[in-house]
Amino acid sequence: MARAARVDQQPATGTTLVLMVGLGVAFLLFMAFLNVVKNGNLLNDSNLLYAALIFYCGAGTLYLGFGITGTPAYIRYASLATWAGLLANTGAVAHRWYEAGHPPFASIYEMLLMFVWTLAVLTLIAEKKYDVKVIGTVTMPVAIVGVVLMQLLRTEVHPLVPALQSTWLHVHVTLAMLAYAACALSFALAMMFLIQDQVKTETFLAATSLFGIATYLGILTRFEKWGGLSVVAWDPEQKAEVFLSRGVRLYLVIPDLGWLLLLVLGAVAAPLILYSVWRNGHNKAMLDIANRAMFLSISLQVLALLFFALRARDGRYASLDVDGLFPTSLAASPFILSGLVGSIFVSLLYLLLLWRREELQRMLPGAEELDRLTYKTIAIAFPLLTLMIAAGAYWANRTWGSYWSWDPKETWAAITWLVYAGYLHMRITRGWRGRRAAYFAILGFAIVMFTFFGVTYLLPGLHAYA
Amino acid sequence: MAAPTLSVPRRIWQTLAAIKTGVILLIVVVVLSAAGTVILQRPATDPDEMTRAYSPQVLRLLDTLGLTDVFHAWWFVLLLSLVSLSIIAASIQRFPNSWRFYSRSYKSPDEAFRRAIPVRALIPVNDHNEEKALSVADRVLQKAGFRPQRIVRENSFSLFGERHRFSQMAVYIVHLSLLLIFTGGTIDALYGWRAFLTLTRGQQSTQVQPQNGKVRDLPFAIRCDGAGQENYADGSPKRWWSDLAVVKNGQVVLRKQIVVNEPLVYGGLRFYQASYGKTGKLDKLLLTATPRNGGPAEELTIGPDETVSLDPYATVRLAEFFPDYALGDGQVYARSNDLQNPAVHLIVQSKAANKAINVWMPPIPGLEQNASSPYSFEGKDVQMAYFTGLEVSHEPGQWAVWAGVVVMGIGLILVFYFVHSRIWVAPARDVHGQLNLWIGGSANKNKDAFEHRFHAIVKQLESELKIFPQAELKKPFLR
Repeated sequence: MARAARVDQQPATGTTLVLMVGLGVAFLLFMAFLNVVKNGNLLNDSNLLYAALIFYCGAGTLYLGFGITGTPAYIRYASLATWAGLLANTGAVAHRWYEAGHPPFASIYEMLLMFVWTLAVLTLIAEKKYDVKVIGTVTMPVAIVGVVLMQLLRTEVHPLVPALQSTWLHVHVTLAMLAYAACALSFALAMMFLIQDQVKTETFLAATSLFGIATYLGILTRFEKWGGLSVVAWDPEQKAEVFLSRGVRLYLVIPDLGWLLLLVLGAVAAPLILYSVWRNGHNKAMLDIANRAMFLSISLQVLALLFFALRARDGRYASLDVDGLFPTSLAASPFILSGLVGSIFVSLLYLLLLWRREELQRMLPGAEELDRLTYKTIAIAFPLLTLMIAAGAYWANRTWGSYWSWDPKETWAAITWLVYAGYLHMRITRGWRGRRAAYFAILGFAIVMFTFFGVTYLLPGLHAYA
Repeated sequence: MAAPTLSVPRRIWQTLAAIKTGVILLIVVVVLSAAGTVILQRPATDPDEMTRAYSPQVLRLLDTLGLTDVFHAWWFVLLLSLVSLSIIAASIQRFPNSWRFYSRSYKSPDEAFRRAIPVRALIPVNDHNEEKALSVADRVLQKAGFRPQRIVRENSFSLFGERHRFSQMAVYIVHLSLLLIFTGGTIDALYGWRAFLTLTRGQQSTQVQPQNGKVRDLPFAIRCDGAGQENYADGSPKRWWSDLAVVKNGQVVLRKQIVVNEPLVYGGLRFYQASYGKTGKLDKLLLTATPRNGGPAEELTIGPDETVSLDPYATVRLAEFFPDYALGDGQVYARSNDLQNPAVHLIVQSKAANKAINVWMPPIPGLEQNASSPYSFEGKDVQMAYFTGLEVSHEPGQWAVWAGVVVMGIGLILVFYFVHSRIWVAPARDVHGQLNLWIGGSANKNKDAFEHRFHAIVKQLESELKIFPQAELKKPFLR
């Protein structure tokens, strides 16, 4: 994220940025190599992942550089770096697979590994086949965040419990990842369409603020008495969450963190409030204040992330259910972490739009083209979603003797399916194009995100594994 | 037909078939199922937790509204039936039009059509080359996979070619598949059931216990010939298995080892490995018995309540077994089902003395009479009895569901990835009297890709047609 700011301050000319990034990547690889030489072990998934991170960072910076300055030379080097990162990422996946003896879909760490891999592949496809060059500006930072999260969430290879030892499960999860990646792409394209369709920048401000509010409200469902925040206890020896009984996790309360997050929620909501004041009064000054409030919101969000990371990393906390102090870890709170990081990332994207809208618009494909591409990606995502649900049902039927049990994750997957079915019907029979279709695509992806993160975090159910 | 003259059933039908109704119904389904995931649901959540989560008034209200069991409430079922009806009505209403379009293609483009179609091209040709140009077009379209037909009308003739016409009807395949899935689900909801069964090794049963309702009789017996657990090195379970046998009229008709993802299927019933655990009871105990008056020790295996003879004058019975015993008030009781601190109570019956002697291992003061027993005993091995928990399910409708899933997969592929594209070619004169080959095309989706293809075909035609006039000219010289 710091890279985005750096590039903004000094608009790079021609080869400067490429050279800088190249040197940076070389330096980091060299340092990593020294570290490897010291420890001996060269090819394991953590080293490969680290290499992937370095290359993705390089690619991300170059894509951002392209996104901001529009220098076409960056793209070549950016794709090169993405290819290198993808290679390392593939190696990491293969190593993990080999080590675990099953495809890497069993834990949130392994799913992130696959998700980042899919994202890199899709980025390259979108760039080479569909000529949507600027897509890397959005997807590479997401990939970087993913790899950083993985560094924090690193887990040992856990043996699979009997229910998860099924080819159908792997089919199910692979299809889910592919479908969700396609949904993510359709969302990005719909957003780009809205930018090309002259949706006002202020509207994006309101949407960004709304996203932040939803995220923080979601996190604050764990707000506890006396201003604490509940997190799951972590057993550092087993490298696993602590369970009181089957399916019941042991929650610890980190004191005062709840208050801090509540304060940040206020800061995140401020731009939306100022925006609505501006809407009603048409006072131009209000909008400037709203944009400034966004800066404040970002700084406070970074602060919140920092505090959360510091407090959840080590230290022992009390529980409301059991006497004694217990340790926790960042790995025990992947959803809170993703929420905090995701919200910062979205706010930064808004800044990019605020400052460089015209350049962005020049580089993006035309509105009509984006509209068509959105439909095409959904036409890919929908059959994948269908097969994903079917494979899941088939697996459940082989494991529990029931193909549909209305568990929350299942129900929300069905809701996702219905929303995209609605989109397709409106588009095909009612001829919905343009904005309405784009809003529908965005709604669809919001529900996908809720199904993926929200259901696991907020609602109980059978899908306790993922 | 004017609106007021419509009969009531007809109007209901119209409403059901409207896409607006379908969308509203879907929104209601979405909202209610979302509610069903947020509000705690009855069979899954235990009653205690329900009363803890909601106040009595709220709980009563939720119960009356059926919101604590959304997915089995009558109104949810009604809603899903309405969705099915809406799909049926919409499909039936649209079908005749689609069928007309499908079965009677528009083949001979008239002038209005030729001017209206957005994707079109003109290639000038010489008057006497009209027939040749058409045959070239025929060949080019053939090569592009459009399988052209010559269309001859009273005052015109033209070419018509198309690809993937079936994709026009694919949407009905998808709707049909959805109805198949609903039908399967309904059959299972009405006639399907789920039950539980626990067996220990060697035990057999002809009855299962459904989750709600009374015991069901099976038309056969299911017997467990063995069950076990394998662990990973770290102690977490890797595999549970049970050897099951289906017994009918005293004969074993089917044997299978089931594991967690691999059920046994017989007579429309499926038996799943669901759980595995300790019963806390003994299966077999291995002992050595040594006569006190000298003589060789003998090994014996004994089960609960089993009586084994030691010599012609003495027998031993295994009266009690505690896997984890504790003493209290001069009594022995079981603390847990784990094999941690076992105690064995044997009764040695001596015919000569005609008395029963209580032998305890370990000797428990106040209870044991070990010293007066003609044999001393030593425990060698303990085999505990384990139970295997089987989930039994009867889902007569599942085949409709899986058939529906397969059909839907095929239908969706046809809908999204097969484009019905059509190309017309007709000779036409423009206002200046110049003869042109008019070419028009249309596709029902993925129009940009079709346009690319169309222009490639036109280009091909142009280059092939250019050769002709020259060939015509050369002929006289060759002669």
